[in-house]
Amino acid sequence: PKLYRSVIEDVINDVRDIFLDDGVDEQVLMELKTLWENKLMQSRAVDGFHSEEQQLLLQVQQQHQPQQQQHHHHHHHQQAQPQQTVPQQAQTQQVLIPASQQATAPQVIVPDSKLIQHMNASNMSAAATAATLALPAGVTPVQQILTNSGQLLQVVRAANGAQYIFQPQQSVVLQQQVIPQMQPGGVQAPVIQQVLAPLPGGISPQTGVIIQPQQILFTGNKTQVIPTTVAAPTPAQAQITATGQQQPQAQPAQTQAPLVLQVDGTGDTSSEEDEDEEEDYDDDEEEDKEKDGAEDGQVEEEPLNSEDDVSDEEGQELFDTENVVVCQYDKIHRSKNKWKFHLKDGIMNLNGRDYIFSKAIGDAEW
Amino acid sequence: MSYQLYRSTTLGNSLQESLDELIQSQQFTQLALQVLIQFDKAINRVRNRVDFSGSLNTYRFCHMPCMTFIFNDIELQKVIELIKVDKVKIMACDDKNTGYNTTE
Repeated sequence: PKLYRSVIEDVINDVRDIFLDDGVDEQVLMELKTLWENKLMQSRAVDGFHSEEQQLLLQVQQQHQPQQQQHHHHHHHQQAQPQQTVPQQAQTQQVLIPASQQATAPQVIVPDSKLIQHMNASNMSAAATAATLALPAGVTPVQQILTNSGQLLQVVRAANGAQYIFQPQQSVVLQQQVIPQMQPGGVQAPVIQQVLAPLPGGISPQTGVIIQPQQILFTGNKTQVIPTTVAAPTPAQAQITATGQQQPQAQPAQTQAPLVLQVDGTGDTSSEEDEDEEEDYDDDEEEDKEKDGAEDGQVEEEPLNSEDDVSDEEGQELFDTENVVVCQYDKIHRSKNKWKFHLKDGIMNLNGRDYIFSKAIGDAEW
Repeated sequence: MSYQLYRSTTLGNSLQESLDELIQSQQFTQLALQVLIQFDKAINRVRNRVDFSGSLNTYRFCHMPCMTFIFNDIELQKVIELIKVDKVKIMACDDKNTGYNTTE
C-alpha cells in the first residue's frame, strides 16, 4: 500500500546519510532501493509505484547500454516480455565497478530486474547468467546469485504472470555466453535459468538461488540445478547448490524433489505415517530446512520423518504463504478458554497479500 | 525501543535480501546493519485498523516479551474488506515494559 511506499522512502532517506558517511556511493543506495522495490513487487503484496516510473526511464536508457561496455564492465541487457498490464520492456542494467562507476543512472532504476556485477580488477571472466522467471501469483521473488571468480550477481525477478528474460552480454573476454529463454505462456511457467560456468579461474561457480518452484539451469556447457527454497537468501545458503554445479545434473527429477519440497515435502519419501502430518511440518520446518540448504530434498525429509510423532499437527493448510502477522500487543486476556486480544501496529501477510493495522481487537476460543 | 520483529515482513525481508545481495558485491556489512536498524525505526510508524475473530489453536509464551499465537479458521475484518484464512500465526511483542505482559 501507499504506506509501504512512504516507509521505503523514509528508510532510504534515513540510510542515505549512513551510506554517505560510510563512503559508499549513492549508487549503491539506489541499487538497494531498486532491489528492495523489486522484491516487493514480486511478492505481489504491494503495488509498485516507483518501479513503474522507473521502467519508463529504463527504456530510455537502454540505448545507452552499448556505450558502457568496457573491458572491465559487463553489460547486461535485459529483455522482458510484456505481459499483463505492466508493459515491461527491456531493461538495462549496469554493472557496478569498483574501479569506476558509470555516471549513467540506469542502474539506479531497474524496475524489474537488476543485475549487479562485481568484477575483480584482475579477473576478466565472469559468469553470465540469464534467468527467466515466471512465478505464479503470490510467489516470492526469485533471486539468483551467481558467484564466480568474478562475482556476478544477478537478480531477476518476475512478477506474477510476467516473464522476464535476462540476457547478459559481455563485451569482455568471455568464454561464456548466456542465452536466456523462456517463455511460459501460462502463469506457472517453469523457470529456466542458464548459467554459465566460467572459466579459466577454475573456481566452481557458486550459485545461490532462492526460488520458488522449479528451476532448472541449462547452459551450453553445463547445467546447474537450483533447488527451490523460499527463505531469505544468504550467502551461506547460496552456496549450498554449489555441490553439483560443474557437472550437469541430469536429474531434473531429483532436483525437482527439493523444489517440490515445499509443497509435498516429505510426502514423497516417507509415506508411512500420515502424509498430512508430514506436510504440516513443512510450514514450520520450512524455515529451518531452507536455512540448512535445500541441496537435497532427501536430507531434509529425514529429520522431518523423525519428528513425526513428536509434535502435533502444526498446521493444516499447506499454503505457499503461511499467513503471518507481526504486531505488538496492548493486552492479551484470557478467561478459561476465551481469549481476548488487543493488538496494535501490526503488519499482516494474508494469502500472500499485505495488510497493516494500527489496532486490532479479537476474540478467540481455545 | 524498536522491535526487530518487523523484519520478517515482506517489506523487511526484501530489504534484507537486497542488502545481502549488495553485500556480496560490495563490502559493507556493518552498513547493512545500520540499514536494518533504520528500517526498524522507520517501520514503527504504521497506522490502520482491523478487527478479527476466530478460533485459537495454539499459543506460546516462550520468548520473553513476545507471544506467538496460531489461529485456525480466523476471520479478519478490515474496515472495508473481510479476510478469511484457515491459519494465522500472530507474533506479538509487548510494547509496554518489555518482559511483562501482566498488566498493561
